[in-house]
Amino acid sequence: MNSNKDGLWYKDAIIYQVHVRTFHDSNGDGIGDFLGLEQKLDYLEELGISAIWLMPFAPSPLRDDGYDIADYNSVHPSYGTLEHFRKVLDSAHQRGIRVIIEMVLNHTSDQHPWFQEARSSQNNPRRDWYVWSDTDTRYNDTRIIFLDTEKSNWAWDPTSKSFYWHRFFSHQPDLNYDNPAVREQMWDVMKFWLEMGVDGFRLDAVPYLVEREGTTCENLQETHNILKEFRRKLDQHFPGRMLLAEANQWPADLRPYFGDSDEFHMAFHFPLMPRMFMGLKLEDRKPITEILQQTPEIPPSCQWSLFLRNHDELTLEMVTDIERDYMYDMYAQDRTMRLNLGIRRRLAPLLNNDRRRIELMNAMLMSLPGTPIIYYGDEIGMGDNISLGDRNGVRTPMQWSGGWNAGFSTADPEKLYAPIIHDPVYGYPAVNVVAQRESEHSLFHWMRRLIAVRKSSAVFGRGSIEFLYPANHRILAYWRRLGNETILIVNNLSSAAQAVELDLGRYKGNVLIEMFGNNLFPRVRDLPYLLTLGPYQAYWFRLRRV
Amino acid sequence: MREMIISELSQAVHDLARGFAHYLPRLIVMLVIVFAGWLIAYVIKVILRSILRLAKFDRLAENAGASQLLSKAALPSAMEMLSRFVFWLTWLGFLLLGVSVLGILGLQEQTARFFLFLPRLFAAVLILFFGLLAAGFSARAALLAAVNANIPSPRLLSLAVRSIIMVFVLSVVFEELGLAEQTMLVAFGIAFGALMLGLAIAFGIGGRDLARRFLEEKFVRVKKEKDEDELSPL
Amino acid sequence: MEDGDFLADDFLRQLIDVGEADILVGLPTHNNARSVGAIVHTIRDGILRGFPRERTVIINADGGSRDGTPELITSLSISDMRPASNVYALRTLHAISTKYASTPQSGVALRTILAAAELLRAKACIVISPESEGITSEWISSLIRPVYYEGFDLVSPTYHRHKFDGLLTTNLLYPMVRALYGARIREAYMSEFGFSARLGSQFLDRNQWSDETGENGTELRLMLAAVTGGFRICQSFLGKKDPVERRAADLVPTLRQSVGVLFSALESDFDVWSTISGSKEVPTTGKDPELLLEPLRVNRKRLREMFVKGVSELGSVFQSILSPSTLAELNRIAGLGEEEFRYPAELWVRTVYEFAAAHQKSVINRDHIIQSLAPLFRGRVFTFIVENRSSSANDVAKNIEGLCLEFERLKPHLLEVWKSKE
Repeated sequence: MNSNKDGLWYKDAIIYQVHVRTFHDSNGDGIGDFLGLEQKLDYLEELGISAIWLMPFAPSPLRDDGYDIADYNSVHPSYGTLEHFRKVLDSAHQRGIRVIIEMVLNHTSDQHPWFQEARSSQNNPRRDWYVWSDTDTRYNDTRIIFLDTEKSNWAWDPTSKSFYWHRFFSHQPDLNYDNPAVREQMWDVMKFWLEMGVDGFRLDAVPYLVEREGTTCENLQETHNILKEFRRKLDQHFPGRMLLAEANQWPADLRPYFGDSDEFHMAFHFPLMPRMFMGLKLEDRKPITEILQQTPEIPPSCQWSLFLRNHDELTLEMVTDIERDYMYDMYAQDRTMRLNLGIRRRLAPLLNNDRRRIELMNAMLMSLPGTPIIYYGDEIGMGDNISLGDRNGVRTPMQWSGGWNAGFSTADPEKLYAPIIHDPVYGYPAVNVVAQRESEHSLFHWMRRLIAVRKSSAVFGRGSIEFLYPANHRILAYWRRLGNETILIVNNLSSAAQAVELDLGRYKGNVLIEMFGNNLFPRVRDLPYLLTLGPYQAYWFRLRRV
Repeated sequence: MREMIISELSQAVHDLARGFAHYLPRLIVMLVIVFAGWLIAYVIKVILRSILRLAKFDRLAENAGASQLLSKAALPSAMEMLSRFVFWLTWLGFLLLGVSVLGILGLQEQTARFFLFLPRLFAAVLILFFGLLAAGFSARAALLAAVNANIPSPRLLSLAVRSIIMVFVLSVVFEELGLAEQTMLVAFGIAFGALMLGLAIAFGIGGRDLARRFLEEKFVRVKKEKDEDELSPL
Repeated sequence: MEDGDFLADDFLRQLIDVGEADILVGLPTHNNARSVGAIVHTIRDGILRGFPRERTVIINADGGSRDGTPELITSLSISDMRPASNVYALRTLHAISTKYASTPQSGVALRTILAAAELLRAKACIVISPESEGITSEWISSLIRPVYYEGFDLVSPTYHRHKFDGLLTTNLLYPMVRALYGARIREAYMSEFGFSARLGSQFLDRNQWSDETGENGTELRLMLAAVTGGFRICQSFLGKKDPVERRAADLVPTLRQSVGVLFSALESDFDVWSTISGSKEVPTTGKDPELLLEPLRVNRKRLREMFVKGVSELGSVFQSILSPSTLAELNRIAGLGEEEFRYPAELWVRTVYEFAAAHQKSVINRDHIIQSLAPLFRGRVFTFIVENRSSSANDVAKNIEGLCLEFERLKPHLLEVWKSKE
C-alpha cells in the first residue's frame, strides 16, 4: 500500500475529515469508535474518497476536543484499543484508502505525565520540557488566539509557583522546542505511528513551536529549522509519507512552510476559504481571483489543501476588517454564531440549505488547484447545533438512517456523547445516508459523481491554473492545464441566470466536451465564446481538438 | 321718304332684335355664371377663413411682420386680406369666364392670357409673403445677436440684413411676374455686389479690430480680457 | 423597448456585463480630460468609504471628446483584471463609457444615463458635473444617502457660494420656480443631483424626447417633473462651489437652456402652477448654505451699458413682448445716470412674467424672446451687485428672500397676462 508511482499520492487525493467519536458506535456506549469506523469504510469507498484524516484520538481529558493530549502512543479507551486502530489502518489500505492522523506538536494537555512531572518542582528533569517564567510579561508582542476565553498567553501554576506559556487554552501548556530532548521525543512519537503504517500527519499549530523575545513568536526561522529536521528524517526512513501543515497565515507567510521541498508536503490554504463564501454572497469573483493572484508559487512536489469547512469555526482571521464585518453580517447575523473571529456553522446552514449553492461551492472546491478535503457529514448536507458550546455544534453524530439514533449507535439517546440533530430541516429523519442512497438526485449521489469526474483527470490535482477575466464579474472562469490536457472551468456566482462571452482564442478549433454528461458543445471559433449559465451553475469542459 | 326711314328703322330694330336674340341666351348664361361664381367665391372665402384660423395663420403673419405692415397701412388683418383676395380672384375668374361666353373675340384672348398669368401671380404673392417672413425673422435675429455680442450699431446691421433679403425677394418676385426681369436682375446684381464690396472694405479696413476679436473668440482659447468679469449666471 | 435602439450595441453589451447595480453615478462629459481624472478618483473614494458593499457603476456619457476623456474614466474601474491596482475594494467597481453623439447635447446624455439606470435597475442614481473640480468624497454620500436610505426621489444640492455667483438662479430661476410651483429649491438648475429609480423611470417614459432631443437644460425639466409629479424632494448640502469660468458670450445659450426650458415647461404645467399659491420649504440635510463674501472682479459699467443699449435698440422687439407700462418704465430707467440707475425688484418681476406670457403665446419667435431677455438681465445683475456690494451674508439672503416674496406677490399679474389676448 505504501508504494506509489511517484510518491505524490497526496496530489491526487480526495481527503475525508472525520472524528472517530462522531462517526459510528460499534459497542453501544454512545461514543463512536474505531471498529464502528471500520464498519463504515465501505460507505467511504462508495463515496470515492481516497484518504481519511482522523481527528485526534489519543488519551485526553477532552477539554479541547482531543487536541489536549495526555499520551501520545495510545488511543483513548472510549474509541477502542491500538489493535482496533491497526484494524482500521489495514482495512482502509485494502480499499486503497490512505490514513492521515493528527500530530499535536506544539502543546500537550496539562494532564500529560510530562507536564505533571515538569510542574512538580523547579528542579524536575522534565522541567525544561515546557516554557516557564517568573513573570507574565515576556513575549509581549504575541497575539492571543482564543480571544473569547483566554486573556493571556501565560498561566499561573500554583504547584511550582511560576507562569507557563500556552498559545491555546490554559490547560494546554506549550512544549519547549528549544530543548533537544523534546525534539527527540516527538520524533519518536511520530516514528511509532509511521511504523504502524500511518500515511501522513497533520501537524497542528506549527507556527508556534518556538518563542523569541521581541517577536510575534510565529513563523520563526528556528521553527522552520525544526520542521525541516523532521522532514529530513521522514524522507530518510519513511519515503512516501506526507506532512500537512496547519498554519493559519497569509499566503506569503505560508510559503516558507514548503521550504525548498524540504519542509511540508502540504499546507491548508486558509485565506481562500472565507473568500469563496464572500465571492458567493457578493456575486463577484474579485475576492477569489485576487487571493489566488497573491498566492505565491510553491515547489512542484508541494500541494495546497483546500476545504470549505472543518471542525473549527470558519475563521476570519485572514481577512480585512471590512471583509470580516461583511461576512458576519451576511453569514452570522446571530451573534451566538460568532466565535474567536470566526463563524461556527456547518456548510449547509451557512448556505441556507440552498442545494445549488452547496453544489457550486463543492464544484469550486474540486476544481480549484489543490487537494480537496470534505468534512464528514457535508456530503449529505448535515446541519449544526449552535446551542452546543464552543465549536461542538459542528461535531454532532453522523446521520446514517432515519431510525434509532440515526443509525449512529444502539445506546440510549441520553448516553450519546452529543445529541443528534433532529429539527425538521436538518434532522436525521430528513438528512441521512440511507434516504440519500435511495434518492437518485440526492446530494450524496451528486457528490459521488463529482468526485468520480474529478478523479477522471489528473489535471485537477496536478495542473496549473490560469484565470480568464470575462467582463461579467459574476463569472469565475479558469483554465486547468497539465501537459496536453486542458480543462475549462466556468462558475456562475450569481443567483440569476447569466450570459458570458469568453475569450478562448488560443484554443480555436477545439471542441468543448462537458465533463458530467460527456456531451459536445460548439467548437471554439474566432468570435468570443458565448455561454449561458443557470443560477449557481458550474461547467467543466474538456477541450479536444478533433 | 317716310317708308325708307321706317324700313331702315325696322331693319335696325330687326337687327337689334336679332342681335339681342343672338346674345341674350349667352347673356343669361353669363349672368348665371357670374352669380354662381359669386356664390362659389363666397363659400371658398368662408372655408379658407376657417382653415386659416385653424392653422393659426394670424400668428404666422405676425411673425412675418406682415400684420404690423398692414395695420400701419390701416388695412384689415392678413387673414382677412388673404380671404378677400381669394374671393375677388375667384369671382373675377368667373366674371371673365362669363364674359368669354359672350363670345367677344378680343375678350376671349385676354381672358385666356389672364388665366395663364394667375399661377405666376399666386407664386409671386407666396414668394413675397415668405420673403417678408424671412426678412423679418433674419433682421430680428441679427439685431438680437448684435446687441448681445455688443457689436456697435445693431439696428443698422438689422436694417442691412432686412434690405438685402427684401431686395433679393423683390427681384425674384419681379422675375416671376415677368415684369422688367432683366432690369431688376441687373439692378439687384449691382446693388448686391456693391453692398458686398462695401461690407468687405468696411470689414477688412474699418472693422479690423472687430474681425480680429471675432476670429479670436472662434478659434483661439484666449485669457479673459480686462473688461470681462468672473460672474457665472448659473 | 425604445431604449434598446437608443443605446449603442457595444454599450448594451457592457451593461449586460455589469448586470445589476445598486448605485449608479452618471458623468456626462465633453473634452474634460483636465479635470475628470481627479473627479473620478473622488467619486471612487466616496463610494468606497460610504457604500463599500453596494454594487456601483460609473456611467460616462460622452459627447465626442477628442482628448481621451472616456479612456481616462474607464481606466479607473476597480476589478481583478488589473491586479497591480493598489486600491482596496470589497467588490468590482465598474466604470463604462459610451459615445452618445459627436457633439455635446446634455439632453441626450441625461437620457443615456436614465436608460442605463433603468436597465441596471439601480436604486439610487446621481449625476456629477465634470466641471465640479471642488468636489469632495462627502458630496457623493450627501447625494446618495437621501435616496438610498431615506426614500427621497430627488436630491437637489446646496452649496456655500459666492454671493454674486449664480445670479440667474437667485434672481430668476429660484424665485420663479418657488412662486409658481410652490417649492423652495435653491439650486433650480442642478449641475449635480441625485434621483431615485422611480423618478428616473417615469421621467424617461413621460418626457417627449423626440421633440427636444439634444436640448440642453433637461435637468431643469427633471426637477420640475419631480415637483409636479408629487415626488419626495430634499436638498442636501454638499460643500463649497467655485464659480466656473464663463465668457460673456455664454449668457444667451445659458438663458436658452434654463429660462427657455422653464418657460416651455410653464405651458405644459399650467394646470399645476396656476392653482398653487405661496411656497413651502423642502426638507434639507447638512449644513445651511452660506453666501461667501470674497471680493470678486466685476465689470459693472459694462453691464449697465449693455442694458441701456439693449433697451434702446430692441424697442421694436420689446413692443411685442412687454406691456406698454412696463416698457415705458424700462425706457425711463435706461435714461438714468450710473449713480441713480436702479432696476427695482417689482419691475424685474413684471418683466420676467411678461416675458413668460409672451413666450407662451409665441408673439414672435420664442428663441428671439429669450435672446432679448439678456440685456435686461444684465441690468438687473447690475442693480443686485450695487445693492449688495457691501452687505453681509445675512442681508444678501434677506434681499433674495424679498425678491422671492415679490415674485409670489405678483403671481396674479402673470396669470392675468397669461390669459389675456388668448
